[in-house]
Amino acid sequence: METKLKGIAKMEQIGLIIAMIIMAILFTALTGNKYIQVDNIINILIASSIVGLVVIGESYLLISGQVDLSPGSVSAFSGVLVSLLLSKGLNMWLAIPIVVVVGMFIGYGNSLMVNKLKFEPFIATLASMSIFRGLAYILCGGKSIFVQNQLFLKLGVGRVFNIPIPVIIFIFLFIVFGVVLARTRFGRNVYMVGGNANAARLAGINAEKLRAKLFIMTSALAALGGCILASRMSSGQPSASEGLEFDAVTAVVLGGIAMSGGVGTMGGALIGLFIMQGFNNGLMILNVQSFWQIVARGLLLIAALSFDYIRNAKRSK
Amino acid sequence: MNSSVEFRNITKLFPGVRALDGISFKAKGGEVVALVGENGAGKSTLLKVLNGDYQADGGQYLIDGEERRFKNPQEAIAAGISIIYQERQIIPYLSVAENIYMEEIPTKGSKLIDFRKLNANAQSIIDEFNLPIKPSAKVKDLSVAYQQMVEIMKAYRRNPKVIAFDEPTASLSDTEIESLFKIIAKLKAKGLIILYVSHRMKEIFQMTDQVVIIKDGQYVTQIPTKETNEREIVKMMVGRNLGDIFSELDRNKKKDGIMLKVENLTNDYVKDVSFELKKGEILGFAGLVGAGRTETMRAIFGADKKTTGRVHLDGREIHIKAPEDAIACGIALCPEDRKEEGIIGGRAIKENISIGILKKLTKRGFVDRNKEINLAESSVKELRIRTPHIEKKIRELSGGNQQKTILARWLAAHPKVLILDEPTKGIDIGSKAEIYQMTCDLAKKGISVILISSELTEVLGLSDRVIVMCEGRITGELSNEEATEEKVLTLAMADMLGGNE
Repeated sequence: METKLKGIAKMEQIGLIIAMIIMAILFTALTGNKYIQVDNIINILIASSIVGLVVIGESYLLISGQVDLSPGSVSAFSGVLVSLLLSKGLNMWLAIPIVVVVGMFIGYGNSLMVNKLKFEPFIATLASMSIFRGLAYILCGGKSIFVQNQLFLKLGVGRVFNIPIPVIIFIFLFIVFGVVLARTRFGRNVYMVGGNANAARLAGINAEKLRAKLFIMTSALAALGGCILASRMSSGQPSASEGLEFDAVTAVVLGGIAMSGGVGTMGGALIGLFIMQGFNNGLMILNVQSFWQIVARGLLLIAALSFDYIRNAKRSK
Repeated sequence: MNSSVEFRNITKLFPGVRALDGISFKAKGGEVVALVGENGAGKSTLLKVLNGDYQADGGQYLIDGEERRFKNPQEAIAAGISIIYQERQIIPYLSVAENIYMEEIPTKGSKLIDFRKLNANAQSIIDEFNLPIKPSAKVKDLSVAYQQMVEIMKAYRRNPKVIAFDEPTASLSDTEIESLFKIIAKLKAKGLIILYVSHRMKEIFQMTDQVVIIKDGQYVTQIPTKETNEREIVKMMVGRNLGDIFSELDRNKKKDGIMLKVENLTNDYVKDVSFELKKGEILGFAGLVGAGRTETMRAIFGADKKTTGRVHLDGREIHIKAPEDAIACGIALCPEDRKEEGIIGGRAIKENISIGILKKLTKRGFVDRNKEINLAESSVKELRIRTPHIEKKIRELSGGNQQKTILARWLAAHPKVLILDEPTKGIDIGSKAEIYQMTCDLAKKGISVILISSELTEVLGLSDRVIVMCEGRITGELSNEEATEEKVLTLAMADMLGGNE
């Protein structure tokens, strides 16, 4: 019985893996093998790495029953801020930590709105999404800030053993946060609060503190993502990362983390991320008009949510 | 005067429980028929079958001799069935008139609401009931009793054949109950069929014509109220079963020393509550719904804030600000609302058991999975939780097994004080008996237990001592020997009976 049940649990991910393989085969056939080339796969990985940092945060948040809409704005704001600091001649090893700490404060602000003012996370982070996008433009006067710091530019385009640095950073953080979620008490508490916040509180879990940690973590990851993006574009651009949070939520939901909280795994989210980025990349190689790419992403989100719905229906049976 | 409702062999199954098992009886127009039975006997379930909320798994019901089968409450309402629930079904921010005419608001022209006509129509109904309320008043500004009247008027306006009341007096004061009874008498005089669910014996003898007794989902009997008495009804309601269970319990005889001492606990819900709890004692808390028992315990446990008051545990004063503090001190609380506050439905039994003491199963932040599995396995064995394996989601268990799992969660914490809030609510009699014995076993191990229960037989049968609360205050204390249902009820309604404590 137990093995049978574990089998079913794995099946959910097997379904996703099969979907990913079918997609890869389809695009490979359509693009005449261009899709499956090492260079292209690295392209997909690079594209995944910045969204991926936010995917880590949103995975934790959605499992705990929350959501954050501000990472895109926080990322753009951080990109501009780090570029500004570097252009004033600040050392990179100082600039990046400063920006990440600023990100942590932004996340703490979000958590205060949710915990103390009892805002719905959707509303609270919608507000900060607007505020930090605006501040990103104000900070740079609406113009991109170019970066000359060579070391910093390496961060985005450099490679170690032929693997791009952003990909290494992402994979490293992904493994760390994945293990924390699956194996530690902190991770377990995330599931418990998401499953039933009331019951978790009465069982001695401080749900407010936990939420604060998650919002801080998500914004910090978004800030780091913003730095990496600024390095790749060799400039801080206030319009960057538009819709980043939606891409991340799409990937997370596609990966089987329920909007209702309490279930899902980081492994699932990773596959969801690869499906989404692989899909975008495939359409790009096929030269699908970029407007249609946007439409296709919406359709993918509908597919993801329907998937979530069907799975939930099965769960409650 | 010749309308009727008849139930024939109604059966309703829920996973693991036969909620209704062959219920048959008939009620005629112009009669008030009391439905009595213990909590969980199936009274409310029967009403939900009648109004189309639930579909019966067997049997049929006839209205005016004609078999009906309502697919949803709308169909039932159209056919003249109205149910007044314990929980209000009205919209607080709308006016009295709007609530009464909810789905038939009069309009003028095409779409605009005709407020003049609406209020005039409502006024005429209010006059018929002779109530001092304005049709334009917002329902939220009315007292609980008048809110209920609005609900009755809403039902009455639809010209119903049947009005069923589900514990209508649970949150009413004595004078309010009197005016409710006057209105029920009026409805009765109009030839309506009235079904009346309550376990307050006084009311049943005051105003019902027939009594239908249900026990564990089964029909026991139907007798004219005049031909029976309170003792007989209780005996049939409870059966010999429960009495036997209590007399057979293996109790803790020796209680020594004070474990918990609460002094002058006060907050928004409770006033000046003081009591002592001995080591190994089972202390019952009785009272009506909303008397402040749950609120007292939540304040002690740190789930709600307290304005003043001291709590001593084992001779030392403790300061509890949040549930985690209480747990660290050795106080555990099994909450009343199992689904909302107890179980984490979508997670495994294993995780639901370990949650309270996960800290102890954690090394350098990592959960020791073997220790967790061992804990869960042994809990399942010890408490006889019926499940194929510990990875099963807790919501897939029956109510009784869910409750045992929550108990396991707290026993794992080795508490000094265990607070059980309505531990047998909505669970079958077999599991009840097991939980009773478990509670006694805990007391024998020296754990002090506080038992809140609205089932008087349970509080009286299980507790060494009973504290009675009313409107946020303690109104009395009775030892096991001197406690009777009557004494407890008198204390529970102390304030309503004129305030002499």
